[in-house]
Amino acid sequence: MLKVWKFQISLFGILFAVILMEATVIPAVWAPLRVDFFIGMIIGQIIFVPFSQGFPFVILGSLILQAFSGARLGLIPLLYIFIFLAIEMLKNFIYLENVYTQALLGILFYCLFAVATVFLADFSYLKGIISPLVAGAVLTGCVSPMMVYVVGRLQTTYEQEHE
Amino acid sequence: MARRSTRVVLLIGAAVLILVLLSTGQYSSSSLGISSVREGYGTFERVVRAPFSFIAGIWNHYVFLVNTSYENETLQKGLDELRVRTMRLQELENENERLRAMLDFKGKFHDFSLIPASVLSQDITHVFKTMIIDKGSRSGFGINMPILNPSGVIGKVIAVSPHTAQVLLVTDPNSSIPALIESSRVKGIVKGRGESLLSLEYVRSVEEVKEGDSVVTSGLLGMFPKGLKLGYVREVRKDDRQIFADIIVEPCVKMEKIEEVFGIAQGVEVSD
Repeated sequence: MLKVWKFQISLFGILFAVILMEATVIPAVWAPLRVDFFIGMIIGQIIFVPFSQGFPFVILGSLILQAFSGARLGLIPLLYIFIFLAIEMLKNFIYLENVYTQALLGILFYCLFAVATVFLADFSYLKGIISPLVAGAVLTGCVSPMMVYVVGRLQTTYEQEHE
Repeated sequence: MARRSTRVVLLIGAAVLILVLLSTGQYSSSSLGISSVREGYGTFERVVRAPFSFIAGIWNHYVFLVNTSYENETLQKGLDELRVRTMRLQELENENERLRAMLDFKGKFHDFSLIPASVLSQDITHVFKTMIIDKGSRSGFGINMPILNPSGVIGKVIAVSPHTAQVLLVTDPNSSIPALIESSRVKGIVKGRGESLLSLEYVRSVEEVKEGDSVVTSGLLGMFPKGLKLGYVREVRKDDRQIFADIIVEPCVKMEKIEEVFGIAQGVEVSD
C-alpha cells in the first residue's frame, strides 16, 4: 500500500513539473503553442498501472490542470476522463506498448482535445490557431512516448524497491 | 467480479463529479479549493525560478560586462537628453494640471491605486484566454478588478486566492466590456474573438465608424473606469440587410507578450 502511495505522490510531482512546462516555460518560447504532456502520462497509466489506481490519478490530475485554465469547471476532467476511457478500450485492439502507437495516440487525442474544447465552449475560431495546433500535435506526439517511459520507469523502480 | 464493481463505482463517481462541477458555473474555481492548487503552484514556480534568477543576476551583473564603458557613455548622453525632455514634460504636466483645475475636471485616476503584478502562467488549454498573476487578495486584488498595463486594458480578475489571481483576457470570447469609439462617441460592447482580435458589437450600421478609430472603455456598469484604451478599429463590414455593423478591433496590448500588469483598485490600501 505504501508503495502505491509513494508512486502516486511521485506522479503528482511529475505533474507539477509538467504544469510548469505547459503553463510557464513553453508559452515563454511561443505563446500560442500548447504541448500536452498529460496524454502521455495517461497512456503510461493504462499500460503500467491498474485501473483502480490510474483512473483516480486521471481525475485528480485533470482537476489540478483545471486550476490553470479559464475553461468551465469540469470540462478539463471530462475530456481527460474521456481520453482515459477511450485508450483503455483501445488497448484491447492495439498494441499500446509500441512507441509509434503512443506517438500517434498522442497526436490523435491532442487534436480531439483541441476540437472538443472549442466545440464544447461554443467558440468558433479554430482556424486562427491552426499552425500552433499542428506544431503542438507533433510535439505532443514526440513527448507522449517519453512520458509513458517516465511512468513505466517510476513504476518499475518502486516495484524493485519493495521486492 | 470485485474488479468489475470497483470500475463501475469509479465510473459512476467520476460521472457524478463532472455533473456537479459543470453545474457549479463558469468561474467558481475560487470557491472549490482549486485556488489552493494555484497557490501551491505559485510557490513552486517561485522556488524553481529563484536559482535561475540568481544565475542570471550573476551573469548580467558580473560576467557580462563587455563594452560597458562605451555603453555607459552612450547611456549618459541619452540620459542628458531625457533630463531635458523630462523638464519639458514636467512643464507640460503642470500646465495640464492647471487647465484641469480651471475646468474643475477631476482626474479620474486620482481616485484609484494601481497594484503591480507579474504574470505567472498562461491558460494550459490555449483555447480559453486566461492567465495567472503572482498577486492575490492579500495585495488588494479582487474579483472583477480591471487589469491593464501602460498600453491598455488586459482583462479582469475572475478568481482570486491570497497570493495569486486568475485574469480573463479581453480576447477571450467570454469577455465583454462596454466601450465607445473615442472620436464619434458611438457606444457598443467589445467582445473577445478568441484569436488575438476583438469585435465591437451592437453598433448600428448607420453609425460612422472608420478604420483606425480608437476604442476606449465607456465606464458603463462601473467595472472599468471610463477612457481606458482597448484598441483600434481594424476593419468595418457593413451589410444593408443587418442592423449592426461587424467591427473588428485590434487590441492595444499584445497579449502574448505581457509580463507586468497593474490592477486598478478603488480605495484599496496596498500592502506591498
